[in-house]
Amino acid sequence: MNTLEIRDLRLSFRLPVGTVEVLHGISLRIARGERVALVGESGSGKSVTARIILGLLQEQRGVRLAGDIVFQGRNLLRLPPRERRAVRGTRISMIFQDPTSSLNPVFRIAPQFREVLARATPDLSEKAARARAAELLDEVAIPDAARVLDSYPFQLSGGMNQRIMIAMALANRPALLLADEPGTALDVTIQAQTLDLMRKLVVDHGTSVLFISHNLGVVREFADRTYVIYRGRIVEAGPTEAIFHDPRHAYTRALMAAQPRITGGGLPDIPERSDDFLAPLIEHEAAP
Amino acid sequence: MRRTARILAANPLSLLGVLLVSLVIVGAVFAPVLAPFPDHRGAVVDFTNFNKPPSATHVMGTDVVGRDLFTRILYAYRISLLLAVVVLAIAVPIGVTLGLMAGYLGGWWEYAIMRLTDVFLSIPPLVLAISIMGVLAPTLVNGMIAVTAMWWPWYTRLVYNIARGEKVEGYVLAAEVIGASRIHVMFREILPNCIPAVLTKMTLDAGFVILIVSSLSFLGLGVQPPTPDLGSMVAEGARYLPDSWWLAVFPGLAILVAVFGFNLIGDGLRDVLGADR
Amino acid sequence: MTPILSLRHLCKTFRTAGHEVQALVDVSLDVAGGECLAIVGESGSGKSTLASLVLGLYPPTTGEILLEGRVLPATRTLVHRRAIQLVQQNPASALNPRRSIGASLRLALDVHGIGAPAERRSRVAALLADVGLSADLASRAPSALSGGQRQRVAIARALACGSRLVVLDEPTSALDVLVQAEVLRLLARLQAEHGLTYLFITHDLAVVRNIATRVAVFQRGRLVELAATEALFTDPRHPYTRRLMAAVPVITEEEKAMRDRLAWEDA
Repeated sequence: MNTLEIRDLRLSFRLPVGTVEVLHGISLRIARGERVALVGESGSGKSVTARIILGLLQEQRGVRLAGDIVFQGRNLLRLPPRERRAVRGTRISMIFQDPTSSLNPVFRIAPQFREVLARATPDLSEKAARARAAELLDEVAIPDAARVLDSYPFQLSGGMNQRIMIAMALANRPALLLADEPGTALDVTIQAQTLDLMRKLVVDHGTSVLFISHNLGVVREFADRTYVIYRGRIVEAGPTEAIFHDPRHAYTRALMAAQPRITGGGLPDIPERSDDFLAPLIEHEAAP
Repeated sequence: MRRTARILAANPLSLLGVLLVSLVIVGAVFAPVLAPFPDHRGAVVDFTNFNKPPSATHVMGTDVVGRDLFTRILYAYRISLLLAVVVLAIAVPIGVTLGLMAGYLGGWWEYAIMRLTDVFLSIPPLVLAISIMGVLAPTLVNGMIAVTAMWWPWYTRLVYNIARGEKVEGYVLAAEVIGASRIHVMFREILPNCIPAVLTKMTLDAGFVILIVSSLSFLGLGVQPPTPDLGSMVAEGARYLPDSWWLAVFPGLAILVAVFGFNLIGDGLRDVLGADR
Repeated sequence: MTPILSLRHLCKTFRTAGHEVQALVDVSLDVAGGECLAIVGESGSGKSTLASLVLGLYPPTTGEILLEGRVLPATRTLVHRRAIQLVQQNPASALNPRRSIGASLRLALDVHGIGAPAERRSRVAALLADVGLSADLASRAPSALSGGQRQRVAIARALACGSRLVVLDEPTSALDVLVQAEVLRLLARLQAEHGLTYLFITHDLAVVRNIATRVAVFQRGRLVELAATEALFTDPRHPYTRRLMAAVPVITEEEKAMRDRLAWEDA
């Protein structure tokens, strides 16, 4: 069974100047333990998709949603707000792009960790929470947990904060992890370590991941399957290897060609826009 | 501009504000035409008609020496609006310039200007005005000086906070790298980004200046008789409450209409211009 | 030939409330006219400090900067400002939201008195045309432009006063990859057409490989490797350079092979 299945999801915003369509009916699925990437440029609709899954957009004014988001057999779009909020942070969690700004700067790490754990286990004692947090920090290769738990986020490096965010996101053993451009704000060497760590953890725990990124290289290294999104439409979908080995949609090809190569070959000459980019979805066969 | 007008129109409260303020301005500007007894603005006495309740001839009644109250309110608006315009015309440029200097130049300038501002802001405005007018004579000009002296620091603080934020924006760096002067950076680059907030505050303040001037007059420190002033009219009328209620109520309402009108516009502007940033 | 820019034993130390941070430690290098020298490093490498020193935003603690053989003073004159210009990373912030595109471009012309005032409007149009934008954008506000268009305007502004040396501070890292490709091509074309010299500050090695003439790698304020682009990418000498290359996310098999070879040689 799929952990997550999105069917024909449509999103539009009603503004004073008229209605703006952001998602034109996207469908995607994530199997249990699968790492799926949603790759696209800014404004393509990739980040709002994650926000809808997390239920962060539903309560906003002027938002119109249609379609289904089925998570472990339950349709998140039809769930009453209270139940939807209960899923957030326990069965579904999220890692954001900038680790330093997603942690509250005025609290030490320990109480923030306890708050996360308390979402799943409300009667957890402070001592037990601290012990559990130390275990989880050990998992993300932070050995001196005691010092880190008593620090404020600004006293720690960006890479350290990112690892804390990963530990928190996985603390309640969620079935689905949403990762929105994780590590983009970090240096490349730290980013590489962070992604390795994240991959190892989700494999160990069998967590499904929706990995949102604009960076093709990162996607290639992380995801089992990839969806390419362009202006609110999925244009190409398939196993990551297949898409990178044989990109078939004009937009996917343009994206790949536009990325300068570390092996050289000169600056790419690719138009910023083309009518071909709006061609219909191309789906690769699933690997046997 | 057209967008601003449309959004204001979609907000009925600010539209009401525009209506009230327009009424006040039209009344003040065309007072000589609109007032039924224009000569009643001065020291006129008509003992055959004193202290009359509202009637067809005197829609708001007459005062204790028989002057038409409606006429005197229209002329009082002239003084109030003039005061608001003059006070803001002096206080805003001074406050804004000092705020830009403190925010952009930083260092010693920032320290000196902001400490001075703190000193002024720590004194209750009415107390400062009363003491200035206590030292000087209680005339209209001194009233303006007093009110202006207590008004500029608010603009310094407002602009200072915005300028400090804008200073680190890329466009300021770009202008510096090009070699633009400090004057250019302050007034041509940073100032335009302060204007929405300043404009909003000015609209709100126009009402408050009227209120403060009225308060001073109420205390006998502002506009002196026989020049009509809303504050002194309320003060004088209050002595005859509740029997001759119109003497205090109509000037009081007149203050309310002006202050309320300016505030409604200010709130509307804040929504529109705030969303713009 | 005299280098267009020389850095001699440049040091910069920041002092803040008891702390002392060495942002740049004894950096010396020459930039030849017409080349594109990439300055590569991660956060804290000192590459942004280097850019600020070259632009004269603050003076070095010790050492000197020479422009065409002459030492630049701590306080720059208009002539010095005109000689070195900047393109910033974030086009959203680099243009004043409350001034028109034309006003932003015209500033450089007004400050340096370039052309008669009456003909500056047509110069602005020519600048826009040079970066592939239509002249009627001059009357628009930055908010009406896309990210790529804004960055083109920022580039046009850097060229407005005819500088020969342009500091490019991560000029494409805030852009989408398709837009980045176009802006990089534009930069390469302008460099060839106007004989510009670039100081290209970036963390993106894939971009460096395809646009730079030489590469200077910085780590914690020190220049650790300086080599011609081809040489650096075929045979990186410093362990830090190799580590940087091994961390680049890649998309083709060929790139992966290159990265794996470097990682294997390291092990």
